[in-house]
Amino acid sequence: MKVLTRLRGALAATLGYLWSGWGAVTSVLMFCALWEYGARIHGDLVLPGPVATLRRLAEMFDSGLAVPELAISARRTLYGLGLALAAGSTLGLLAGRSLTTAMVSRPLVTLLLGMPPIAWLVLAMLWFGMGDATPVFTVLVACFPIVFAGAMQGARTLDNRLRNVARAYRLPWHMLLTDLYLPHVASYLFPSWITALGTSWKVVVMAELLTTADGVGAALAVSRSQLDTATSLGWIVAVLGLLLGVEYLLLEPLKRRVERWRSGPAA
Amino acid sequence: MNALHIRHLYHRYGLTEVLADVGFDLYAGETLALVGPSGCGKSTLLHVVAGLLRPSEAVISSTFRGIGCVFQEPCLMPWKTALDNIALGLKALGVPKAARRRQAAALGLRMGLGEEDLAKYPHELSGGMQSRVSLARALVLSPDLLLLDEPFSALDVGLKAELYGLLREQVARRGTAVLMITHDLMEAVRLADRIIMMVPAPGRLVREFVLELAREERTDAWVYRTTAELMQAEEVRIGFGLAQGELPPPLHEHARHGGCVV
Repeated sequence: MKVLTRLRGALAATLGYLWSGWGAVTSVLMFCALWEYGARIHGDLVLPGPVATLRRLAEMFDSGLAVPELAISARRTLYGLGLALAAGSTLGLLAGRSLTTAMVSRPLVTLLLGMPPIAWLVLAMLWFGMGDATPVFTVLVACFPIVFAGAMQGARTLDNRLRNVARAYRLPWHMLLTDLYLPHVASYLFPSWITALGTSWKVVVMAELLTTADGVGAALAVSRSQLDTATSLGWIVAVLGLLLGVEYLLLEPLKRRVERWRSGPAA
Repeated sequence: MNALHIRHLYHRYGLTEVLADVGFDLYAGETLALVGPSGCGKSTLLHVVAGLLRPSEAVISSTFRGIGCVFQEPCLMPWKTALDNIALGLKALGVPKAARRRQAAALGLRMGLGEEDLAKYPHELSGGMQSRVSLARALVLSPDLLLLDEPFSALDVGLKAELYGLLREQVARRGTAVLMITHDLMEAVRLADRIIMMVPAPGRLVREFVLELAREERTDAWVYRTTAELMQAEEVRIGFGLAQGELPPPLHEHARHGGCVV
């Protein structure tokens, strides 16, 4: 009986979430309408409309051009982002545990956040050459400070009273982790992870455009040199679609699940 | 019989002495109220007893094993449901999930929380409900010693009376010793067997009152009358700033202990 109610609750929450997507769909369609309007004014060479772009994108998928390039870019993003999430979260949590390290690392984080990714890219090209390592490294350094700052903030802001509760009730160390630190920190980590995800795609495409011979960025460079605006826009739409998919179908539902306690009734 | 003995307790934050030569005894089944104005070191003293704070100097012996704490604010874990909050201490003791949830639910229901309240997160509960959860979290451990840090101060009169009842029932049934902090003299008179008056700068005990009448025989009229009587005591009046005067400073010369004898 209990399982049934829970299942029903989960189902209702999922449907509710999907239903709430209509608002997002509407705003995307509004944007497409504006885009179409611009295309009508400027013509296909300068700005192909959304329909033309999607048609070209479908052709790219059909001809087997799109998937391998997207996979290559996705792999680079994943490596860079994975490293940044792991390193940033771990080091950020450790840094947040002591006031001294937090104070020392704060200006460094500002420095790293302020450094334009293109500067890192130039350095990475000098250090790593034209291989996979360059985009991966650039993603890592671009995303690391974002995650690090989030994790540090999370570790610093834990309510002292809750810590007292944990001590008074003699929570063993593994429970401190699972019942106190992680749930609290997760609410700071998740937003930073989502921001890092967006940054990572942008940086990968940029890095590929300038340094590598394959991947979405490189393909963009080729289509640009051929003045093929429709293909360029097709790539851009493909990347944006992937980004939206990962964020709204994976990270956002995960975030809602982890942060049920923040708002709304229990799912 | 289980007991807590404290002698010559001193505590300093930096150069400020917050507790000076504090000493008292507490036996099983007894309720002791520490009463005093804000900033007299009551909470610090309670933190010492709860093991959250190491005093600068003290001789403490305690045979109480299970200690339950109820803090000034409910301090519930916001990411846990009411039920899991109640079961927190049991989880820390390694009680299996099904058993601890059953125990927590049974106590929660007895304390006036509904089935649906137990499934809610703290932010969905009213302040009164949160206080019940906080009290249940301590009581579910069936502690030998219950520490209460003004847990009822933000509640309305009716709710207070109800929680007093729950507390009395628990104390009577389990023989739990209670050390409670309050600045509400009437609350102390209603619940305690003994009341100790504390004053600040530095925090120290200045007077002890013993209430002989059994708790269940205390009527409202008796509580009002006794509170009024206590309010006449010189220490209480000076301590709460109702009258001018000086209370004797702590005795620094002879009270300190000489460390361990080898």
